[in-house]
Amino acid sequence: MTEKDRPNQIKISCQNIRKVFIQKGKIQVHVLEDISLAVYRNEFVVILGPGQSGKTTLLRIIAGLEAPTAGRVLLDGQEVKGPGPDRGLVFQSYMLFPWRTVLGNVEMGPKLRGLPKESRRKSASHYLNLVGLAGYEKYYPHQLSGGMKQRVGIARAYANNPEVMLLDEPFGQLDAQTRYYMEKETVRIWETEKRTVIFVTNNIDEAIYLGDRIITLEGKLPGRMKAVYPVPLPRPREHTDLAFLNLRHEIIESSKLLL
Amino acid sequence: MTADPKKPFPILPLIRNEFFLYVLSFVGFLFIWDWVAREQILGKSLAQPYDVVQELTRLLSVKLAGKDLLGHIWDSTRRVFIGFAIAAVFAVPLGLLMALNRYINALVKPVFDIFKPMPPIAWISIAILWFGIEEASKIFIILIGAFVPCLLNSYNGVRLIEPELYDVVRMLGGKRRDEIFHVSFPAAFPAIFSGLQISLSIAWTCVLAAELVSSRSGLGWIIIQGMRLTKPELVIGGMAIIALVAWLTSLLVSGLERLVCPWRREIGGL
Repeated sequence: MTEKDRPNQIKISCQNIRKVFIQKGKIQVHVLEDISLAVYRNEFVVILGPGQSGKTTLLRIIAGLEAPTAGRVLLDGQEVKGPGPDRGLVFQSYMLFPWRTVLGNVEMGPKLRGLPKESRRKSASHYLNLVGLAGYEKYYPHQLSGGMKQRVGIARAYANNPEVMLLDEPFGQLDAQTRYYMEKETVRIWETEKRTVIFVTNNIDEAIYLGDRIITLEGKLPGRMKAVYPVPLPRPREHTDLAFLNLRHEIIESSKLLL
Repeated sequence: MTADPKKPFPILPLIRNEFFLYVLSFVGFLFIWDWVAREQILGKSLAQPYDVVQELTRLLSVKLAGKDLLGHIWDSTRRVFIGFAIAAVFAVPLGLLMALNRYINALVKPVFDIFKPMPPIAWISIAILWFGIEEASKIFIILIGAFVPCLLNSYNGVRLIEPELYDVVRMLGGKRRDEIFHVSFPAAFPAIFSGLQISLSIAWTCVLAAELVSSRSGLGWIIIQGMRLTKPELVIGGMAIIALVAWLTSLLVSGLERLVCPWRREIGGL
């Protein structure tokens, strides 16, 4: 997406977010400090930072699962007060319901929102098709590989028809080949079903391959915003393109991080 | 597999055959038992396997204290099931409630923690004082014994749930009620069932103890009779029947688990 055809509509904005966890009444962990960012509608934003930089906490605050200590998150101008089906979250450790089949997992959201069986079947099989898992409806999660589990996790989030997709290091547990393949799939799915996406990762190649924009966080707590990099490369991207490698070099140089 | 002519006796594939090893283990056990009994290595008080089988067959038709073998088996099994069922019906929901609501937990847990370490057998005397030597005291002992693991397992089953599973439900638009019904309960089922299995085996221990102390029927009583009459074949027969029946009842619980938790079917285990 170029600057010109980017809809000038802000979908999500984080304003001066700070997060301090208080453990056992006394020990304080200062995780985030003064995070302000805006995500445009249907934009693919990657939050890039090493481990322990507070990026998962930031995502959980946007999701509404954690309340910020200071600052606020706006979704379409409305302050986020808690979790809700307008945002879909994909977890690093998949978090599938082991007692539900693949189909049962994917149609969980529509079921919770009280949609009739027929329509939730329809949307579940649509998204299972989209992630390439048609035919696996009756499998249980423990019968699937890691990559397939995360496809179910992505389909489950999509099937609830959220406006924003939040992905928390979704491919962190996959081997390199599967990971690369899932990144390609992610772009394909996003191009088919456009959503506003916030994707958290610690992998710089993944960030450049996927993002319209990359936001880097500092590598120590409290996590602060370091820099913002637009990624003007056309899709599909190639990891070996010169422009790709130049951007990779630039990010590594300026962030002085081993990403 | 065709036999290799150079190896007239293929011992290696045979000892690597699990089924053969099962049979070998069982036959070997019977053989050693029979030998020890026949040679009276442990004195005269060990019956030969054949005598035990014969005694049990005899008891199928001959009545002991007005009941044949099946009658005594039924007496013990009935006691186990009644005590176990009452325990399960109260302890499992109580454990779930304690895990889901910290106020209920704060109210119940201190009292439960007092009774938890007390061995159920310790209750026998007081139970007889309260309920007499009839059915009620035995069922009470079983209830006490079966209660603890039922409660502990359903409690822990809920407490050990990955908290992010609740986040999934909340993100998808679910309420607290949905978290309980779609996460807490199904996630706790396997733990509840292992609690039921432990409770059942404790229930069998308790019924035996209660019947040994005071009873006019049941498998524990049969064992006592065998001791009084110095009939080791009756004692060992009683022990074998208890093992068999307790195993069959545990199969019922596993069967129920397979029915309720189909996702566990392929994970395996005992």
